[in-house]
Amino acid sequence: MTESKLKRRIVNGMLYLLFALVIVFFLFPILWTLSLSFKTVPELYQVPPALFPESLAIDNYAYLVQQVKILRGVWNSMIVTLSTIVGTMLIAVPAAYAFSRIRFKGSAFVQFLILMFQMISPLVIVIPLYRYFAKIGLLNSLIGLTAIYIAISAPFQVWFLKSFFDTIPTELDEAACIDGCRRLQVVTRILVPTIAPGIFSGMLLVFISSWSQFVVPYILMDTPSKMPLACLLVNLQSTFQQITTHYLAAASILTILPTVLLFLFLQKYIVSALTAGAVKG
Amino acid sequence: MRKDKNLLQKISRGPIPWLAPIFLVLGVFYLIPLADVIKTSFTDATMTNPAGNGFTLNSYGKIFQDKAFGDVLFVTFFFVTFSVVFQFLLGFLIALAVNAAEDRHMRGTVLTRTISLVSWAIPGVAIGIIWKILYAESGSSILNYLLSLCGADPVAFLSDPDTALLSTSIANVWRGTAQSMILLYAGVKTVDKQLIEAASIDGATAVRRLFHIIIPGMKSVIMINILLNIINTFNTFDMIMPLTGGGPGRSTEVLVLSVYRNIFQQLDLGGGCAVAIMLLCINIVFSIFYFFMNREKEAG
Repeated sequence: MTESKLKRRIVNGMLYLLFALVIVFFLFPILWTLSLSFKTVPELYQVPPALFPESLAIDNYAYLVQQVKILRGVWNSMIVTLSTIVGTMLIAVPAAYAFSRIRFKGSAFVQFLILMFQMISPLVIVIPLYRYFAKIGLLNSLIGLTAIYIAISAPFQVWFLKSFFDTIPTELDEAACIDGCRRLQVVTRILVPTIAPGIFSGMLLVFISSWSQFVVPYILMDTPSKMPLACLLVNLQSTFQQITTHYLAAASILTILPTVLLFLFLQKYIVSALTAGAVKG
Repeated sequence: MRKDKNLLQKISRGPIPWLAPIFLVLGVFYLIPLADVIKTSFTDATMTNPAGNGFTLNSYGKIFQDKAFGDVLFVTFFFVTFSVVFQFLLGFLIALAVNAAEDRHMRGTVLTRTISLVSWAIPGVAIGIIWKILYAESGSSILNYLLSLCGADPVAFLSDPDTALLSTSIANVWRGTAQSMILLYAGVKTVDKQLIEAASIDGATAVRRLFHIIIPGMKSVIMINILLNIINTFNTFDMIMPLTGGGPGRSTEVLVLSVYRNIFQQLDLGGGCAVAIMLLCINIVFSIFYFFMNREKEAG
Protein backbone atom coordinates (compact mmCIF):
# COMPACT_ATOMS: atom_id res chain seq x y z
CA MET A 1 0.00 0.00 0.00
CA THR A 2 1.35 3.38 -0.87
CA GLU A 3 0.51 6.25 1.35
CA SER A 4 1.82 9.74 1.57
CA LYS A 5 3.80 10.49 4.71
CA LEU A 6 1.23 13.01 5.86
CA LYS A 7 -1.71 10.68 5.42
CA ARG A 8 0.15 7.95 7.22
CA ARG A 9 0.77 10.23 10.17
CA ILE A 10 -2.84 11.34 10.35
CA VAL A 11 -4.16 7.79 10.26
CA ASN A 12 -1.65 6.61 12.87
CA GLY A 13 -2.55 9.57 15.05
CA MET A 14 -6.25 8.73 14.83
CA LEU A 15 -5.57 5.11 15.69
CA TYR A 16 -3.52 6.16 18.72
CA LEU A 17 -6.28 8.48 19.86
CA LEU A 18 -8.78 5.63 19.56
CA PHE A 19 -6.43 3.32 21.48
CA ALA A 20 -6.15 5.86 24.27
CA LEU A 21 -9.95 6.11 24.52
CA VAL A 22 -10.31 2.32 24.50
CA ILE A 23 -7.72 1.92 27.25
CA VAL A 24 -9.33 4.59 29.42
CA PHE A 25 -12.84 3.21 28.93
CA PHE A 26 -11.94 -0.38 29.75
CA LEU A 27 -9.24 0.16 32.34
CA PHE A 28 -10.55 3.09 34.33
CA PRO A 29 -13.43 1.29 36.11
CA ILE A 30 -11.03 -1.41 37.28
CA LEU A 31 -8.29 1.00 38.37
CA TRP A 32 -10.80 3.21 40.16
CA THR A 33 -12.09 0.19 42.10
CA LEU A 34 -8.51 -0.79 42.92
CA SER A 35 -7.83 2.72 44.17
CA LEU A 36 -11.00 2.74 46.32
CA SER A 37 -10.02 -0.60 47.83
CA PHE A 38 -7.10 1.15 49.59
CA LYS A 39 -9.01 4.23 50.72
CA THR A 40 -10.24 5.13 54.21
CA VAL A 41 -13.73 6.39 55.03
CA PRO A 42 -12.74 10.11 55.08
CA GLU A 43 -11.08 9.63 51.71
CA LEU A 44 -14.31 8.18 50.31
CA TYR A 45 -16.08 11.42 51.17
CA GLN A 46 -13.38 13.73 49.94
CA VAL A 47 -14.54 16.33 47.41
CA PRO A 48 -13.07 16.39 44.83
CA PRO A 49 -12.26 12.69 44.89
CA ALA A 50 -8.54 11.90 44.72
CA LEU A 51 -7.38 9.62 41.94
CA PHE A 52 -4.95 7.75 44.17
CA PRO A 53 -5.33 6.58 47.77
CA GLU A 54 -3.16 8.26 50.39
CA SER A 55 -1.52 5.00 51.33
CA LEU A 56 -1.48 1.44 50.16
CA ALA A 57 -2.53 0.21 53.58
CA ILE A 58 -4.30 -3.12 53.32
CA ASP A 59 -6.69 -2.39 56.21
CA ASN A 60 -9.77 -2.96 54.05
CA TYR A 61 -8.52 -6.34 52.91
CA ALA A 62 -7.57 -7.23 56.48
CA TYR A 63 -11.10 -6.34 57.58
CA LEU A 64 -12.57 -8.64 54.92
CA VAL A 65 -10.31 -11.49 55.98
CA GLN A 66 -10.83 -11.08 59.72
CA GLN A 67 -14.41 -9.85 60.05
CA VAL A 68 -16.12 -11.14 56.93
CA LYS A 69 -14.08 -14.36 56.65
CA ILE A 70 -13.86 -13.77 52.95
CA LEU A 71 -11.20 -16.43 52.53
CA ARG A 72 -13.99 -18.95 53.15
CA GLY A 73 -15.58 -17.65 49.98
CA VAL A 74 -12.31 -17.87 48.08
CA TRP A 75 -11.86 -21.44 49.31
CA ASN A 76 -15.44 -22.44 48.43
CA SER A 77 -15.05 -20.99 44.95
CA MET A 78 -11.75 -22.79 44.44
CA ILE A 79 -13.16 -26.15 45.54
CA VAL A 80 -16.29 -25.85 43.42
CA THR A 81 -14.45 -24.51 40.39
CA LEU A 82 -11.70 -27.14 40.39
CA SER A 83 -14.16 -29.99 40.98
CA THR A 84 -16.32 -28.65 38.17
CA ILE A 85 -13.35 -28.66 35.80
CA VAL A 86 -12.54 -32.30 36.60
CA GLY A 87 -16.18 -33.42 36.48
CA THR A 88 -16.91 -31.58 33.25
CA MET A 89 -13.94 -33.11 31.47
CA LEU A 90 -14.82 -36.59 32.69
CA ILE A 91 -18.21 -36.44 31.00
CA ALA A 92 -17.43 -34.11 28.07
CA VAL A 93 -14.33 -35.85 26.68
CA PRO A 94 -16.03 -39.25 26.10
CA ALA A 95 -19.09 -37.56 24.60
CA ALA A 96 -16.97 -35.40 22.31
CA TYR A 97 -15.10 -38.52 21.22
CA ALA A 98 -18.33 -40.36 20.45
CA PHE A 99 -19.74 -37.50 18.35
CA SER A 100 -16.48 -37.20 16.46
CA ARG A 101 -15.70 -40.88 15.86
CA ILE A 102 -18.78 -43.07 16.13
CA ARG A 103 -21.39 -42.80 13.39
CA PHE A 104 -24.88 -43.42 14.65
CA LYS A 105 -28.42 -42.44 13.84
CA GLY A 106 -29.54 -39.17 15.37
CA SER A 107 -26.03 -38.01 16.18
CA ALA A 108 -26.57 -34.56 14.67
CA PHE A 109 -29.88 -34.11 16.45
CA VAL A 110 -28.46 -35.07 19.83
CA GLN A 111 -25.61 -32.65 19.29
CA PHE A 112 -28.10 -29.92 18.52
CA LEU A 113 -30.05 -30.69 21.71
CA ILE A 114 -26.87 -30.48 23.73
CA LEU A 115 -26.02 -27.15 22.16
CA MET A 116 -29.47 -25.89 23.02
CA PHE A 117 -29.00 -26.68 26.69
CA GLN A 118 -26.01 -24.38 26.63
CA MET A 119 -28.23 -21.51 25.51
CA ILE A 120 -30.83 -22.00 28.24
CA SER A 121 -30.61 -19.63 31.19
CA PRO A 122 -29.50 -21.55 34.30
CA LEU A 123 -32.23 -19.69 36.19
CA VAL A 124 -34.87 -21.81 34.42
CA ILE A 125 -33.46 -25.11 35.68
CA VAL A 126 -32.63 -23.81 39.15
CA ILE A 127 -36.29 -23.11 39.91
CA PRO A 128 -37.25 -26.80 40.29
CA LEU A 129 -33.77 -27.81 41.45
CA TYR A 130 -34.22 -25.48 44.41
CA ARG A 131 -37.24 -27.48 45.51
CA TYR A 132 -35.61 -30.86 44.89
CA PHE A 133 -32.50 -29.83 46.79
CA ALA A 134 -34.58 -28.47 49.66
CA LYS A 135 -36.31 -31.84 49.91
CA ILE A 136 -33.14 -33.91 50.02
CA GLY A 137 -31.13 -31.46 52.10
CA LEU A 138 -28.71 -30.36 49.37
CA LEU A 139 -29.26 -26.62 49.79
CA ASN A 140 -26.03 -24.98 50.97
CA SER A 141 -24.10 -28.01 49.77
CA LEU A 142 -20.99 -27.48 47.67
CA ILE A 143 -21.41 -30.95 46.19
CA GLY A 144 -24.89 -30.17 44.94
CA LEU A 145 -23.63 -26.87 43.57
CA THR A 146 -20.76 -28.57 41.76
CA ALA A 147 -23.10 -31.09 40.15
CA ILE A 148 -25.18 -28.27 38.65
CA TYR A 149 -22.08 -26.39 37.49
CA ILE A 150 -20.93 -29.55 35.69
CA ALA A 151 -24.27 -29.83 33.93
CA ILE A 152 -24.04 -26.17 32.90
CA SER A 153 -20.44 -26.40 31.65
CA ALA A 154 -20.58 -29.73 29.86
CA PRO A 155 -22.65 -28.83 26.75
CA PHE A 156 -20.25 -26.21 25.45
CA GLN A 157 -17.25 -28.40 26.23
CA VAL A 158 -18.69 -31.26 24.19
CA TRP A 159 -18.90 -29.01 21.15
CA PHE A 160 -15.57 -27.44 21.80
CA LEU A 161 -13.65 -30.71 22.35
CA LYS A 162 -15.36 -32.41 19.43
CA SER A 163 -13.84 -29.81 17.13
CA PHE A 164 -10.41 -30.90 18.39
CA PHE A 165 -11.10 -34.61 17.90
CA ASP A 166 -12.28 -33.74 14.39
CA THR A 167 -8.87 -32.32 13.52
CA ILE A 168 -7.15 -35.67 14.14
CA PRO A 169 -7.22 -37.94 11.07
CA THR A 170 -8.98 -41.25 11.75
CA GLU A 171 -5.96 -43.06 10.28
CA LEU A 172 -4.24 -42.37 13.56
CA ASP A 173 -6.87 -44.37 15.44
CA GLU A 174 -6.65 -47.19 12.93
CA ALA A 175 -2.86 -47.29 12.93
CA ALA A 176 -2.88 -47.49 16.70
CA CYS A 177 -5.39 -50.27 16.59
CA ILE A 178 -3.78 -52.83 14.31
CA ASP A 179 -3.96 -55.64 16.83
CA GLY A 180 -7.57 -54.96 17.62
CA CYS A 181 -6.84 -52.97 20.73
CA ARG A 182 -9.64 -51.35 22.62
CA ARG A 183 -11.21 -48.02 21.92
CA LEU A 184 -10.64 -46.89 25.47
CA GLN A 185 -6.89 -47.35 25.06
CA VAL A 186 -6.84 -45.43 21.79
CA VAL A 187 -8.67 -42.58 23.48
CA THR A 188 -6.63 -42.42 26.68
CA ARG A 189 -3.20 -43.18 25.22
CA ILE A 190 -3.33 -41.48 21.84
CA LEU A 191 -6.23 -39.13 21.23
CA VAL A 192 -6.40 -37.35 24.59
CA PRO A 193 -2.66 -36.58 24.67
CA THR A 194 -2.93 -35.30 21.09
CA ILE A 195 -5.69 -32.83 21.91
CA ALA A 196 -4.19 -31.89 25.29
CA PRO A 197 -3.85 -28.19 24.33
CA GLY A 198 -7.57 -28.12 23.47
CA ILE A 199 -8.47 -29.76 26.77
CA PHE A 200 -6.32 -27.22 28.58
CA SER A 201 -8.11 -24.34 26.82
CA GLY A 202 -11.43 -25.92 27.68
CA MET A 203 -10.43 -26.17 31.33
CA LEU A 204 -9.57 -22.47 31.39
CA LEU A 205 -12.99 -21.58 29.99
CA VAL A 206 -14.69 -23.77 32.60
CA PHE A 207 -12.60 -22.14 35.33
CA ILE A 208 -13.65 -18.63 34.35
CA SER A 209 -17.33 -19.43 33.84
CA SER A 210 -17.62 -21.44 37.06
CA TRP A 211 -15.79 -18.83 39.10
CA SER A 212 -18.22 -16.23 37.73
CA GLN A 213 -21.36 -18.32 38.16
CA PHE A 214 -23.90 -16.42 40.21
CA VAL A 215 -27.58 -17.17 39.72
CA VAL A 216 -27.29 -20.80 40.85
CA PRO A 217 -25.58 -20.21 44.23
CA TYR A 218 -27.62 -17.05 44.76
CA ILE A 219 -30.75 -19.19 44.86
CA LEU A 220 -29.37 -22.35 46.46
CA MET A 221 -27.10 -20.95 49.17
CA ASP A 222 -28.16 -18.80 52.09
CA THR A 223 -25.40 -19.56 54.59
CA PRO A 224 -22.55 -17.08 54.02
CA SER A 225 -19.89 -19.57 55.14
CA LYS A 226 -20.94 -21.90 52.30
CA MET A 227 -21.16 -19.29 49.56
CA PRO A 228 -18.72 -19.06 46.69
CA LEU A 229 -17.00 -15.70 46.36
CA ALA A 230 -19.21 -14.16 43.65
CA CYS A 231 -22.28 -14.90 45.74
CA LEU A 232 -20.68 -13.72 48.97
CA LEU A 233 -19.86 -10.43 47.26
CA VAL A 234 -23.53 -9.69 46.60
CA ASN A 235 -24.41 -10.93 50.07
CA LEU A 236 -21.97 -8.37 51.51
CA GLN A 237 -23.49 -5.64 49.39
CA SER A 238 -26.96 -6.31 50.75
CA THR A 239 -26.05 -6.98 54.40
CA PHE A 240 -23.43 -4.31 55.17
CA GLN A 241 -24.89 -1.72 57.46
CA GLN A 242 -22.62 1.33 57.33
CA ILE A 243 -20.38 2.94 54.73
CA THR A 244 -19.01 0.11 52.75
CA THR A 245 -17.81 1.26 49.35
CA HIS A 246 -14.16 0.67 50.28
CA TYR A 247 -14.89 -2.86 51.53
CA LEU A 248 -16.99 -3.70 48.50
CA ALA A 249 -14.24 -2.40 46.24
CA ALA A 250 -11.68 -4.60 48.00
CA ALA A 251 -13.99 -7.62 47.82
CA SER A 252 -14.57 -6.97 44.10
CA ILE A 253 -10.83 -6.86 43.50
CA LEU A 254 -10.43 -10.22 45.28
CA THR A 255 -13.25 -11.67 43.18
CA ILE A 256 -11.84 -10.58 39.85
CA LEU A 257 -8.16 -11.20 40.59
CA PRO A 258 -7.96 -14.96 39.85
CA THR A 259 -9.81 -14.82 36.54
CA VAL A 260 -8.12 -11.64 35.36
CA LEU A 261 -4.65 -13.00 36.15
CA LEU A 262 -5.49 -16.24 34.43
CA PHE A 263 -6.65 -14.28 31.40
CA LEU A 264 -3.58 -12.05 31.28
CA PHE A 265 -1.09 -14.92 31.55
CA LEU A 266 -2.90 -17.49 29.42
CA GLN A 267 -4.58 -15.15 26.96
CA LYS A 268 -3.29 -17.09 23.98
CA TYR A 269 -5.17 -20.26 24.94
CA ILE A 270 -8.34 -18.44 25.90
CA VAL A 271 -8.63 -16.27 22.81
CA SER A 272 -8.00 -19.20 20.48
CA ALA A 273 -10.59 -21.22 22.37
CA LEU A 274 -13.23 -18.52 22.13
CA THR A 275 -12.77 -18.07 18.42
CA ALA A 276 -12.39 -21.77 17.57
CA GLY A 277 -16.08 -22.34 16.91
CA ALA A 278 -16.91 -19.19 15.04
CA VAL A 279 -14.04 -18.82 12.58
CA LYS A 280 -12.89 -22.14 11.31
CA GLY A 281 -12.99 -21.58 7.59
CA MET B 1 -27.11 -66.56 26.73
CA ARG B 2 -24.94 -66.10 23.69
CA LYS B 3 -27.36 -63.72 22.13
CA ASP B 4 -27.25 -61.55 25.23
CA LYS B 5 -23.51 -61.42 25.06
CA ASN B 6 -23.59 -60.31 21.44
CA LEU B 7 -26.09 -57.62 22.24
CA LEU B 8 -23.90 -56.45 25.09
CA GLN B 9 -20.92 -56.33 22.78
CA LYS B 10 -22.88 -54.42 20.23
CA ILE B 11 -23.90 -51.82 22.77
CA SER B 12 -20.39 -51.48 24.10
CA ARG B 13 -19.10 -50.81 20.59
CA GLY B 14 -21.72 -48.15 19.97
CA PRO B 15 -21.90 -44.64 21.36
CA ILE B 16 -23.93 -45.50 24.47
CA PRO B 17 -21.09 -46.07 26.98
CA TRP B 18 -19.45 -42.82 25.90
CA LEU B 19 -22.62 -40.78 26.06
CA ALA B 20 -24.24 -42.32 29.13
CA PRO B 21 -22.54 -40.01 31.67
CA ILE B 22 -23.54 -36.81 29.91
CA PHE B 23 -27.07 -38.10 29.24
CA LEU B 24 -27.43 -38.88 32.91
CA VAL B 25 -26.20 -35.45 34.03
CA LEU B 26 -28.22 -33.51 31.45
CA GLY B 27 -31.26 -35.66 32.10
CA VAL B 28 -31.22 -35.03 35.83
CA PHE B 29 -30.23 -31.36 35.72
CA TYR B 30 -31.91 -30.21 32.51
CA LEU B 31 -34.64 -32.50 31.17
CA ILE B 32 -36.41 -33.27 34.44
CA PRO B 33 -36.30 -29.65 35.66
CA LEU B 34 -37.45 -28.37 32.25
CA ALA B 35 -40.38 -30.77 32.20
CA ASP B 36 -41.19 -29.66 35.74
CA VAL B 37 -41.11 -25.95 34.82
CA ILE B 38 -43.38 -26.55 31.84
CA LYS B 39 -45.81 -28.52 33.97
CA THR B 40 -45.76 -25.99 36.81
CA SER B 41 -46.44 -23.11 34.43
CA PHE B 42 -49.87 -24.64 33.80
CA THR B 43 -50.78 -24.64 37.48
CA ASP B 44 -51.48 -22.03 40.12
CA ALA B 45 -48.61 -23.31 42.26
CA THR B 46 -47.01 -21.09 44.89
CA MET B 47 -43.82 -21.61 46.82
CA THR B 48 -45.89 -22.71 49.81
CA ASN B 49 -48.04 -25.02 47.70
CA PRO B 50 -45.68 -26.14 44.93
CA ALA B 51 -48.04 -28.82 43.61
CA GLY B 52 -50.84 -26.35 42.82
CA ASN B 53 -54.48 -27.24 42.33
CA GLY B 54 -54.56 -28.89 38.94
CA PHE B 55 -54.39 -27.65 35.38
CA THR B 56 -55.06 -24.02 34.61
CA LEU B 57 -54.02 -21.42 32.07
CA ASN B 58 -54.32 -18.64 34.65
CA SER B 59 -50.58 -18.10 34.98
CA TYR B 60 -50.34 -17.22 31.31
CA GLY B 61 -53.59 -15.26 31.40
CA LYS B 62 -52.34 -13.20 34.32
CA ILE B 63 -49.13 -12.32 32.49
CA PHE B 64 -50.86 -11.10 29.39
CA GLN B 65 -53.39 -9.08 31.34
CA ASP B 66 -50.72 -7.59 33.57
CA LYS B 67 -49.78 -4.19 32.20
CA ALA B 68 -46.50 -4.30 34.09
CA PHE B 69 -45.48 -7.31 32.01
CA GLY B 70 -45.59 -5.14 28.91
CA ASP B 71 -43.09 -2.90 30.66
CA VAL B 72 -40.88 -5.90 31.39
CA LEU B 73 -40.90 -6.79 27.71
CA PHE B 74 -40.06 -3.23 26.73
CA VAL B 75 -37.22 -3.04 29.28
CA THR B 76 -35.85 -6.37 28.03
CA PHE B 77 -36.14 -5.28 24.41
CA PHE B 78 -34.34 -2.01 25.06
CA PHE B 79 -31.64 -3.66 27.16
CA VAL B 80 -30.95 -6.36 24.58
CA THR B 81 -31.09 -4.09 21.53
CA PHE B 82 -28.95 -1.33 23.00
CA SER B 83 -26.39 -3.80 24.37
CA VAL B 84 -26.10 -5.89 21.23
CA VAL B 85 -25.90 -2.92 18.84
CA PHE B 86 -23.22 -1.09 20.78
CA GLN B 87 -21.29 -4.22 21.74
CA PHE B 88 -21.12 -5.00 18.06
CA LEU B 89 -20.21 -1.51 16.85
CA LEU B 90 -17.59 -0.92 19.53
CA GLY B 91 -16.18 -4.43 19.25
CA PHE B 92 -15.97 -4.13 15.47
CA LEU B 93 -14.34 -0.69 15.65
CA ILE B 94 -11.67 -1.97 18.07
CA ALA B 95 -11.13 -5.13 16.01
CA LEU B 96 -10.61 -3.11 12.82
CA ALA B 97 -8.36 -0.60 14.56
CA VAL B 98 -6.19 -3.25 16.19
CA ASN B 99 -5.95 -5.11 12.91
CA ALA B 100 -4.98 -1.96 11.01
CA ALA B 101 -2.44 -1.03 13.69
CA GLU B 102 -0.85 -4.46 13.42
CA ASP B 103 -0.42 -4.00 9.66
CA ARG B 104 1.23 -0.68 10.38
CA HIS B 105 3.49 -2.19 13.04
CA MET B 106 2.33 0.37 15.56
CA ARG B 107 3.37 0.19 19.18
CA GLY B 108 0.85 -0.48 21.93
CA THR B 109 -1.30 -2.72 19.75
CA VAL B 110 -0.98 -5.81 21.94
CA LEU B 111 -1.58 -3.74 25.06
CA THR B 112 -4.76 -2.21 23.63
CA ARG B 113 -6.01 -5.57 22.45
CA THR B 114 -5.42 -7.14 25.85
CA ILE B 115 -7.06 -4.33 27.80
CA SER B 116 -10.11 -4.32 25.56
CA LEU B 117 -10.59 -8.02 26.35
CA VAL B 118 -10.05 -8.02 30.13
CA SER B 119 -13.68 -7.32 30.97
CA TRP B 120 -14.54 -10.71 29.45
CA ALA B 121 -12.75 -12.42 32.36
CA ILE B 122 -14.48 -10.42 35.10
CA PRO B 123 -17.39 -12.08 36.92
CA GLY B 124 -20.69 -10.35 36.13
CA VAL B 125 -21.50 -9.62 39.78
CA ALA B 126 -18.21 -7.77 40.17
CA ILE B 127 -19.04 -5.73 37.07
CA GLY B 128 -22.40 -4.83 38.61
CA ILE B 129 -20.77 -3.70 41.84
CA ILE B 130 -17.97 -1.80 40.09
CA TRP B 131 -20.47 0.14 37.97
CA LYS B 132 -22.68 0.78 40.96
CA ILE B 133 -19.67 2.42 42.60
CA LEU B 134 -18.93 4.44 39.43
CA TYR B 135 -22.55 5.55 39.15
CA ALA B 136 -22.80 6.65 42.80
CA GLU B 137 -24.57 9.95 43.16
CA SER B 138 -22.85 11.67 46.09
CA GLY B 139 -20.55 14.67 45.56
CA SER B 140 -17.47 12.49 45.92
CA SER B 141 -18.54 9.93 43.31
CA ILE B 142 -16.34 9.72 40.30
CA LEU B 143 -18.55 9.95 37.21
CA ASN B 144 -20.56 12.84 38.56
CA TYR B 145 -17.35 14.58 39.56
CA LEU B 146 -15.96 14.16 36.03
CA LEU B 147 -19.23 15.50 34.63
CA SER B 148 -19.04 18.51 36.91
CA LEU B 149 -15.56 19.22 35.51
CA CYS B 150 -17.23 19.49 32.11
CA GLY B 151 -19.75 21.86 33.60
CA ALA B 152 -22.65 19.39 33.57
CA ASP B 153 -25.22 18.97 36.32
CA PRO B 154 -25.09 15.80 38.41
CA VAL B 155 -26.92 12.85 36.86
CA ALA B 156 -29.08 10.46 38.89
CA PHE B 157 -27.66 7.46 37.02
CA LEU B 158 -29.42 4.72 38.95
CA SER B 159 -32.01 6.44 41.14
CA ASP B 160 -33.96 8.06 38.30
CA PRO B 161 -36.20 5.47 36.62
CA ASP B 162 -35.77 7.25 33.29
CA THR B 163 -31.97 6.97 33.22
CA ALA B 164 -31.45 3.72 35.14
CA LEU B 165 -32.14 1.50 32.14
CA LEU B 166 -29.69 3.41 29.95
CA SER B 167 -27.05 3.32 32.70
CA THR B 168 -27.54 -0.43 33.09
CA SER B 169 -27.29 -0.97 29.33
CA ILE B 170 -24.06 1.05 29.13
CA ALA B 171 -22.52 -1.05 31.89
CA ASN B 172 -23.53 -4.12 29.91
CA VAL B 173 -21.86 -2.74 26.78
CA TRP B 174 -18.68 -2.43 28.83
CA ARG B 175 -19.09 -6.02 29.83
CA GLY B 176 -19.94 -7.59 26.47
CA THR B 177 -17.79 -5.68 23.99
CA ALA B 178 -14.85 -8.00 24.60
CA GLN B 179 -16.79 -11.03 23.38
CA SER B 180 -17.61 -9.20 20.12
CA MET B 181 -14.08 -7.91 19.77
CA ILE B 182 -12.55 -11.40 20.13
CA LEU B 183 -14.76 -12.96 17.48
CA LEU B 184 -14.70 -10.06 15.04
CA TYR B 185 -10.94 -9.64 15.37
CA ALA B 186 -10.49 -13.30 14.49
CA GLY B 187 -13.02 -12.81 11.67
CA VAL B 188 -11.19 -9.83 10.16
CA LYS B 189 -8.04 -11.96 10.01
CA THR B 190 -9.79 -14.48 7.77
CA VAL B 191 -10.58 -11.88 5.09
CA ASP B 192 -8.20 -12.21 2.16
CA LYS B 193 -5.57 -9.47 2.49
CA GLN B 194 -4.74 -9.56 -1.22
CA LEU B 195 -8.32 -8.81 -2.08
CA ILE B 196 -8.26 -5.73 0.14
CA GLU B 197 -4.96 -4.56 -1.32
CA ALA B 198 -6.16 -5.06 -4.86
CA ALA B 199 -9.25 -2.97 -4.16
CA SER B 200 -7.12 -0.31 -2.58
CA ILE B 201 -4.88 -0.15 -5.66
CA ASP B 202 -8.01 0.19 -7.79
CA GLY B 203 -8.77 3.28 -5.78
CA ALA B 204 -11.46 1.97 -3.44
CA THR B 205 -11.76 4.16 -0.34
CA ALA B 206 -11.48 2.68 3.14
CA VAL B 207 -15.26 2.90 3.55
CA ARG B 208 -15.88 1.05 0.29
CA ARG B 209 -13.34 -1.62 1.23
CA LEU B 210 -15.13 -2.07 4.54
CA PHE B 211 -18.63 -2.43 3.11
CA HIS B 212 -17.81 -4.28 -0.08
CA ILE B 213 -15.00 -6.62 0.92
CA ILE B 214 -14.44 -6.90 4.66
CA ILE B 215 -18.04 -7.11 5.90
CA PRO B 216 -19.26 -9.52 3.18
CA GLY B 217 -16.12 -11.60 3.77
CA MET B 218 -16.93 -12.13 7.43
CA LYS B 219 -20.72 -12.21 7.23
CA SER B 220 -21.13 -15.51 9.04
CA VAL B 221 -18.84 -14.49 11.92
CA ILE B 222 -20.84 -11.30 12.32
CA MET B 223 -24.12 -13.23 12.40
CA ILE B 224 -22.81 -15.76 14.91
CA ASN B 225 -21.44 -12.98 17.07
CA ILE B 226 -24.73 -11.09 17.10
CA LEU B 227 -26.73 -14.23 17.89
CA LEU B 228 -24.43 -15.16 20.78
CA ASN B 229 -24.66 -11.63 22.17
CA ILE B 230 -28.46 -11.67 21.92
CA ILE B 231 -28.65 -14.95 23.85
CA ASN B 232 -26.13 -13.81 26.47
CA THR B 233 -27.90 -10.51 26.99
CA PHE B 234 -31.33 -12.10 27.36
CA ASN B 235 -29.87 -14.33 30.08
CA THR B 236 -28.05 -11.55 31.95
CA PHE B 237 -28.90 -11.76 35.62
CA ASP B 238 -25.60 -11.55 37.47
CA MET B 239 -24.70 -7.99 36.53
CA ILE B 240 -28.14 -6.41 36.96
CA MET B 241 -28.87 -7.93 40.37
CA PRO B 242 -26.14 -6.06 42.28
CA LEU B 243 -26.39 -2.98 40.04
CA THR B 244 -30.10 -2.17 40.31
CA GLY B 245 -31.90 -5.32 41.44
CA GLY B 246 -34.49 -4.42 38.77
CA GLY B 247 -35.24 -1.00 40.22
CA PRO B 248 -35.88 1.75 40.90
CA GLY B 249 -39.47 0.60 40.85
CA ARG B 250 -39.37 -1.97 38.08
CA SER B 251 -37.55 0.26 35.61
CA THR B 252 -34.70 -2.20 34.93
CA GLU B 253 -36.60 -5.44 35.44
CA VAL B 254 -35.66 -7.61 32.46
CA LEU B 255 -37.30 -10.98 31.78
CA VAL B 256 -34.82 -13.01 33.86
CA LEU B 257 -35.25 -10.72 36.85
CA SER B 258 -39.00 -10.94 36.42
CA VAL B 259 -38.82 -14.73 36.74
CA TYR B 260 -36.77 -14.35 39.90
CA ARG B 261 -39.04 -11.71 41.41
CA ASN B 262 -42.22 -13.67 40.68
CA ILE B 263 -40.93 -16.85 42.25
CA PHE B 264 -38.61 -15.87 45.05
CA GLN B 265 -40.17 -12.59 46.13
CA GLN B 266 -43.86 -12.94 45.22
CA LEU B 267 -43.68 -16.72 45.79
CA ASP B 268 -45.87 -17.10 42.69
CA LEU B 269 -44.35 -20.30 41.34
CA GLY B 270 -46.87 -20.86 38.52
CA GLY B 271 -46.61 -17.27 37.26
CA GLY B 272 -42.82 -17.27 37.47
CA CYS B 273 -42.63 -20.54 35.56
CA ALA B 274 -44.88 -19.11 32.85
CA VAL B 275 -42.47 -16.19 32.43
CA ALA B 276 -39.58 -18.66 32.49
CA ILE B 277 -41.21 -20.56 29.63
CA MET B 278 -41.22 -17.41 27.55
CA LEU B 279 -37.55 -16.91 28.30
CA LEU B 280 -37.01 -20.54 27.37
CA CYS B 281 -38.79 -20.09 24.03
CA ILE B 282 -36.62 -17.07 23.24
CA ASN B 283 -33.50 -19.09 24.11
CA ILE B 284 -34.61 -21.95 21.89
CA VAL B 285 -35.52 -19.77 18.91
CA PHE B 286 -32.13 -18.06 18.92
CA SER B 287 -30.23 -21.29 19.41
CA ILE B 288 -32.00 -22.72 16.36
CA PHE B 289 -30.83 -19.69 14.37
CA TYR B 290 -27.37 -20.19 15.81
CA PHE B 291 -27.33 -23.85 14.89
CA PHE B 292 -28.26 -23.15 11.27
CA MET B 293 -25.75 -20.32 10.99
CA ASN B 294 -23.03 -22.66 12.18
CA ARG B 295 -24.09 -25.35 9.79
CA GLU B 296 -24.27 -23.02 6.82
CA LYS B 297 -20.79 -21.77 7.59
CA GLU B 298 -19.38 -25.28 7.81
CA ALA B 299 -21.04 -26.28 4.56
CA GLY B 300 -20.10 -23.13 2.66
